[in-house]
Amino acid sequence: MRMLSIKKAPMVIVALCCAAASLPALAAEYLLTVTRPNNLHIVDPAKRAIVRTINLPGDGIPGAIAVPKDGKTAYVLTNRMESVVGVDLDSGKPVFRADFSTPQRRVKGFFAVAVSEDGKELYVHQAPVQLGRSEYKVEDTYIAVFDTADGMSAKPRRTFPAPRRISLMAATGKPDHLIALGWDMYLFNTKTGKLEQTFPVRHWNRPGIGEPDVLAMWGTFEQARALSTPYFVAKTDVPPDSPEAFKAGIAVFDLDSETLKVKEFENATTAMFSSVVSPVARNEAFLVMNQLTKVDTDTGKLLKRKDLDQTYYAINISGDGKEIYVGGALDKIAIYDADSFEKKGEIQMPGGADQSIGWMRVVKR
Amino acid sequence: MKRLRALNHKAHLLEQAATDGHREEVQLMSSVVGCTTTFDPGWEVDAFGGLASLCQPMEADLYGCTDPCWWPAQLADSLNTARDWTDGKNSALRDWRELQTLFPGD
Repeated sequence: MRMLSIKKAPMVIVALCCAAASLPALAAEYLLTVTRPNNLHIVDPAKRAIVRTINLPGDGIPGAIAVPKDGKTAYVLTNRMESVVGVDLDSGKPVFRADFSTPQRRVKGFFAVAVSEDGKELYVHQAPVQLGRSEYKVEDTYIAVFDTADGMSAKPRRTFPAPRRISLMAATGKPDHLIALGWDMYLFNTKTGKLEQTFPVRHWNRPGIGEPDVLAMWGTFEQARALSTPYFVAKTDVPPDSPEAFKAGIAVFDLDSETLKVKEFENATTAMFSSVVSPVARNEAFLVMNQLTKVDTDTGKLLKRKDLDQTYYAINISGDGKEIYVGGALDKIAIYDADSFEKKGEIQMPGGADQSIGWMRVVKR
Repeated sequence: MKRLRALNHKAHLLEQAATDGHREEVQLMSSVVGCTTTFDPGWEVDAFGGLASLCQPMEADLYGCTDPCWWPAQLADSLNTARDWTDGKNSALRDWRELQTLFPGD
């Protein structure tokens, strides 16, 4: 593991002044998160501290974060979802920028940003609108493919059609494959643009089960290589006033086997926003909003639940599966023991700035 | 409804919907689950008809909803039309008093 240039300054000074900081020489994990107005933070969860704050160029608000396997560059969706900025995590300098919109055509990327595992290509699901003098014309959505070597004025190298409502994307373990979650899950070939397979979610047509509702806004899949999301669904074969009439479940897409598993685990009684699969016990998943919840995705058992001190939108997990990180919404990350759910630490964001819709990703260095 | 009396336009519409037999339509919309329902009144009630699944505290959800323009009818659209609504107010819990009401002409 090579030394990074941000090592020399004392940790506190680094966190405060955003000067050169460092990631240690030993293999370690770091959390990436963002706060208003337009900052990216590198967090050392072992030290319970922010080791570096990078001010992103342009207008905020930052949200989705995509990182290739080498963990060297973070690509952040910002500028009111109209730009992606890539920053070198060693130097803190911007190395990539793609502005989607023009004065006549407003283009938004609604969370769905992904990078190829080798870091060479960036994928953004885009929704364009022509801004006429007397009318707006909504155009078809597509996935734009950027070359990450194109620097600070990157334009799409190619595009291919994609359905609307896609909010999460991830490169799978197979070359040129990209999974996208919208009403269903779509497996694209990024070279040909071909939709190779559709995994039904909204259209799953399961007897006695209605159409699920999914709030998939937080991409968390790097530790177990499994993209997951909570869902809620009505059971159509029981009376509507039955406690069984509305179920909570979790959908897990394995990025290596390219398979989708769905499992209901309780009668819906509370909302859950995001989830993460344990990289150690792959049948276990953790979900968060006002509670921290642990479920068995094989048996559909609710294993553990704890009320939290506040709402957290985003969740991630340590590589050894021992610690759960919850963040997003307000201004802190909380760390919980994955077995006991005991609170083990808390990391305050600089200036009390909110993470809001920001993602929380893990990079290994 | 004997003890409740509609006072404003929205409340009259709700009352009328029940009278006209549209109650089932409202229930169908209520099955949309987020922290609350997208087309329903916002933070007033959660998807289960209670309060426990609303964000805690309420300010935890304020910027999470305005940043992606989640409820453009209830909140400023900081993606498009009110991009500076939260400028300099980076903590919803601390700064919410400084957020200004927006009017159609703004």
